[in-house]
Amino acid sequence: MDKRYTLKIDKIIEETSDIKTFTFKYTLGANPGQFIMLTDFEGGEKPFSISDCTKEEFSITVKRIGEFTTRLFQKCVGDYVSIRGAYGSSFFISKNKVLLVGGGYAVPTFYFFAKVLLEAGANVTLINGARTKAEHVFADRFESLDIKVINTTDDGSFGENGTAVDIAQKIMSQDNFNFLYASGPEMMMKALQDVIGDTNYEFLFERYMKCAIGICGNCTMDPLGLRLCVEGPVLPKEKVEQLTEFGKYHRDASGKRHEL
Amino acid sequence: MQKSLKSEFLGITITSPLVLPAGVMGMAFSGFNISIENGAGIVTSKSLTLESRMGHKGPVVAEFEGGLLNCMGLCNPGIVDGLAEIDQFKKHSDIPVIASVFATNTEDFLKLTKHVNKSQTDFLELNLSCPNVFDEFGIPLAASQEEVHNIVKAVKQISTLPIIAKLSPNVYDIVSIAKAAEFAGADALCMINTVGPGMLIDTKIIKPVLYNKFGGLSGPCIKPIALKLIYQTYSAVDIPIIGMGGVTYGEDAIEMLMAGATVIGVGTAVHYRGIEVFNKINNEILEFMEENEYSSVKDIPKLEKLEM
Repeated sequence: MDKRYTLKIDKIIEETSDIKTFTFKYTLGANPGQFIMLTDFEGGEKPFSISDCTKEEFSITVKRIGEFTTRLFQKCVGDYVSIRGAYGSSFFISKNKVLLVGGGYAVPTFYFFAKVLLEAGANVTLINGARTKAEHVFADRFESLDIKVINTTDDGSFGENGTAVDIAQKIMSQDNFNFLYASGPEMMMKALQDVIGDTNYEFLFERYMKCAIGICGNCTMDPLGLRLCVEGPVLPKEKVEQLTEFGKYHRDASGKRHEL
Repeated sequence: MQKSLKSEFLGITITSPLVLPAGVMGMAFSGFNISIENGAGIVTSKSLTLESRMGHKGPVVAEFEGGLLNCMGLCNPGIVDGLAEIDQFKKHSDIPVIASVFATNTEDFLKLTKHVNKSQTDFLELNLSCPNVFDEFGIPLAASQEEVHNIVKAVKQISTLPIIAKLSPNVYDIVSIAKAAEFAGADALCMINTVGPGMLIDTKIIKPVLYNKFGGLSGPCIKPIALKLIYQTYSAVDIPIIGMGGVTYGEDAIEMLMAGATVIGVGTAVHYRGIEVFNKINNEILEFMEENEYSSVKDIPKLEKLEM
């Protein structure tokens, strides 16, 4: 049986004006790439990637997007929220030379992952991209890890000038990587897929989730019917290549399709 | 002799007696794909309404030791988009599809039926029994003999497909409701919908766990109720029954058949045993048939009918 845990918020870090990290003292035992469902019982329960997970605590890093996250941003240390999980698939732990390509608020999950990769003995390069400096996150935390980091912004306001995909294409032409991982906007991953040639990869996807336990069918990816909450959110290359909805459309809470 | 799961439902041959019920994995055509790849013999769409519905805010599911509470709230993309998903599935599959539809009055049920008539659907299910929209629509239609009779009768007159009435377990006299559906022309019954509804409370935040407060109960704890209601109904009607409610293992499916079901729905067990649950139960039914020397599903004996 999946359990629900109602926990006090232990720490809140303001990353940008629209992104916050919430930390909980709880042994979650998650793997990198997995997510939790979180609610305050005020209406809405949403999936959040895990941005850090140690033996004692775990964190999620949240972008303020709608009604639910706006309410979450008003919470203080000591307030209760309720979580269930961790759910879903996790990243393959490579021991070789790997490239992580992250965009915007989807980058922090790579902080948890990079630490696990380092423990496994991998050689890690990270492209940490955002549209602009004000949206760029976790630069300081990645600095503290023994990995190679390339910061970039689409408008050149921080780090290199260019999209994460531009930078990935450039450094892959100079260097060989055994495995590539991406977490970011779907169109970023779609563009990335076109420039990475034969390199093996895994992508972290986002779809509207409701039950998170593989029953309701809201997050199935066409045409395979992969449930993003169970078989995903991390999908391997051989599955991604078969997805007809990748980069094209997604379904809302009613199941209606919308172009991306 | 080779044991076979091949069965028949309303004149159509099916590869397995296991049915994907409404509300489970039935949002997208790809949800049907993965269910049949894993052994389901019939698939059912989400209950479709005239207009799309976002459903209730979360949490929409809550677990406890004996089962699951859910209050999805009839989220669906609307009849037009929902039937388009069915048609896309039928382009490459012969597996029969049940289109489940939900409305609150005869007029809307008739409108929905006209849409379904034009689709590639094989059967039409009238969801008369959603327990999770009480605040919006009140007591389910399946609580009233008269409502059930009137709606089934009206739909029967215009439907080009066999009609299945989905019944609620939350009634005092299931037999009279089932007989009303049969008398009005229902070709089959689907039972049971979720039980209750029930609720769970978070003791730290001091609020109901489900945002809708109440939700229909499914999973192993409802199986005895399902078996009893299916058995009573089977004893009283001559039309086939899609039996469901807590079926998790092959043994549960066998019990459903013995209680009088023709085919068996498997829903919540998709969570407990993975989407592979259909093949797992198929194999468990085959093992049972092997041990007891039944060559086909219809050879598995049923209980003697209750005296009515």
